[in-house]
Amino acid sequence: MEFLAGNLAPFIASAEKGEEHVGFVGILTYAIFVLIVIFCLMAYAKKGMNLRVFKNPILNCFEQLYLFIEKMCVGTIGSHGRKYVSILMTFWMVIFASNVCSLFFPAAPTADVGFNLGMALIAIGYVQYEGIKTNGFFGHLRHFGGPNLGNVLLAILINPLIFLIEIVSEVLKNVSLSLRLYGNIEGGHLAASAMNKLGEGIYVPFGAFLIPIKLLTCVVQALIFTLLLSVYISLVTHHDEPEVDHESADEKERWESGKIAEAMIH
Amino acid sequence: MNAIGIGIAVLGIAIGLGLIGFSAMQGMSRQPEAIGKMQTAMLIGMAFIEVVMLLLTFVILGSVTK
Repeated sequence: MEFLAGNLAPFIASAEKGEEHVGFVGILTYAIFVLIVIFCLMAYAKKGMNLRVFKNPILNCFEQLYLFIEKMCVGTIGSHGRKYVSILMTFWMVIFASNVCSLFFPAAPTADVGFNLGMALIAIGYVQYEGIKTNGFFGHLRHFGGPNLGNVLLAILINPLIFLIEIVSEVLKNVSLSLRLYGNIEGGHLAASAMNKLGEGIYVPFGAFLIPIKLLTCVVQALIFTLLLSVYISLVTHHDEPEVDHESADEKERWESGKIAEAMIH
Repeated sequence: MNAIGIGIAVLGIAIGLGLIGFSAMQGMSRQPEAIGKMQTAMLIGMAFIEVVMLLLTFVILGSVTK
């Protein structure tokens, strides 16, 4: 027993004591576990793809997820947003699976601030890469400098200030992305352990009743991370081409023709 | 004293989150076609406000442990 406790210590989180951490090995183990689960699900989802009708339930789930993320991409980034579906869906699945892992296991990758900071660095680094690829290096830097004010004096005085503030906010995007995820997941654990203390006398785990809310938090946090990443991508890759919203134009036309028909009847 | 500080901060942030949810629901009920766009904007706004509370909590917890 002593041997087990000594060797499994990095893998077993002390959910009761906030001072001890699972450590690098524990987080890596759980991250690999999450990745294995995702890969197994996706390998199983490939099974029914050659049939005329998709009957595989896992495949249907992934299809709905793909459609959801594609709609979010096209709605936020624009018509060229379909090529960012892959990275956004990867982030969605990793974050969601890790969050669900945090419901069942004593530790999870997203309940550790280092893992989240790594993901945020990857995300923001990808945003910089896309910005440089779209606008060129100096175009990307000019994007930080704010709008063209038209006056030389104003440009010398104001634009360096905007540039500094934009750089700071770009760095703080990493911090905010990682701390939001960490705070929400770890805060749920703290709330559950605090509520467990209420029912200690009567042997009722009140913290377990928080699990539905925590499941909601899991979905919302995965959604928010990808949504913010798509917003950041749309900020650096936007083009000034006018986009025609066919759907709303059609609806407006229909509505107006309806009004005319109504007026003709009366 | 720290608990009182966190309480006051959470009070303000809860009012802000409530205002966002209130106006988003009002807008959704007035224009049900635009629910998707409104939900996106609402979630982004809520996420940005939430971070204020999280940062503040981490700052206060950091100051307590030192």
